[in-house]
Amino acid sequence: MILDLHTHSIKSDDGRAKVPNYCQWIRAREIPIDGFVLTEHRQFDAESDYSSLAAKFDLCILKASEVETEYGHVLVFGVTDALLSAFDFGDIHLPLKRVVEACAAHGAVPVPCHPGRKRVGMQAHVGEFGVPEGIRIVEIYNGGSRDQEDQIAQTMANELGYLGIGGSDAHIVSHIGRCATRFPGPIGNTAELVEALRAEDFEALTFRT
Amino acid sequence: MTINQISDVEFGEELPVFTPDTSLDNVRRFATAAGWAGPRFTDHEAARAEGLPGALVPGIMSQGFLAAMIHRWAPESRIEKVDTVFRAPVIVDQPYTISGVVTDIDEETETVEIDLTVNNEAGETRVFGTATVRIATPA
Repeated sequence: MILDLHTHSIKSDDGRAKVPNYCQWIRAREIPIDGFVLTEHRQFDAESDYSSLAAKFDLCILKASEVETEYGHVLVFGVTDALLSAFDFGDIHLPLKRVVEACAAHGAVPVPCHPGRKRVGMQAHVGEFGVPEGIRIVEIYNGGSRDQEDQIAQTMANELGYLGIGGSDAHIVSHIGRCATRFPGPIGNTAELVEALRAEDFEALTFRT
Repeated sequence: MTINQISDVEFGEELPVFTPDTSLDNVRRFATAAGWAGPRFTDHEAARAEGLPGALVPGIMSQGFLAAMIHRWAPESRIEKVDTVFRAPVIVDQPYTISGVVTDIDEETETVEIDLTVNNEAGETRVFGTATVRIATPA
């Protein structure tokens, strides 16, 4: 099963894509993914229910978050009410240690995204703050990467022994599915996604040309 | 093919790719006319002295390129909104391509939504956004 693990909708301040249009686009263009995860900036979109849309288009649509730490941006998979109470998702100065510890306590998985990017990527901050504890996975393919950002991410992942995922980081409809992650088995809900990430059996994919 | 009415438009339709003129002469002309003729837009060396990679194409000029592409595709359309996110600078004298694709059609309001992307030669997105365009049926 292939999921785009990093997407944004109009719920994010810089997102311009409506979720129904993502679905329509994936099917019309035969994008080779089976679903996507909405990772809205600095929030968890608890209110939106995409189940009927998912059923209509036969796609898996899950929700996660992208928070901001001193190491840059971090995807958080497995957001629960308890995790939402553990720290302020809207805080742009979250300590990564706190995010990692809260994820461990509440069964979530933190994944630094676009880690090769200046300022908002983890690699730019390792020299100053050291290698963070508790990170097992980073995003090594990001659909919005420029210059050598993905290469920097892959080199860092190799050197530090991290596993890699892929995500498009789509903010507009036509960018979805540029990068994704292949899992060996089916995933139908957030708990199964977290379980699959913890199983550490997945492969980052890029479809960028 | 140019678009004259909403029924001509298909979901996923790609607008003809537009190659903007980002030459220093053209940018200087635009910047002067727009009252933005600061050295960061008109002089590579001055821009580099500010820590920039070169003279910048003004954001409003990039938006103008986007509008020009839309009007070449649908000359009688009315652009209701161009909403851009600038991810990286667009540099003068460097080649770019602008692409657009229809990602939503509302026949009731006779509007379409278009994804817009400005890519450099390496295929990296410098600017992205959306446009809402009204394509009224001729009376």
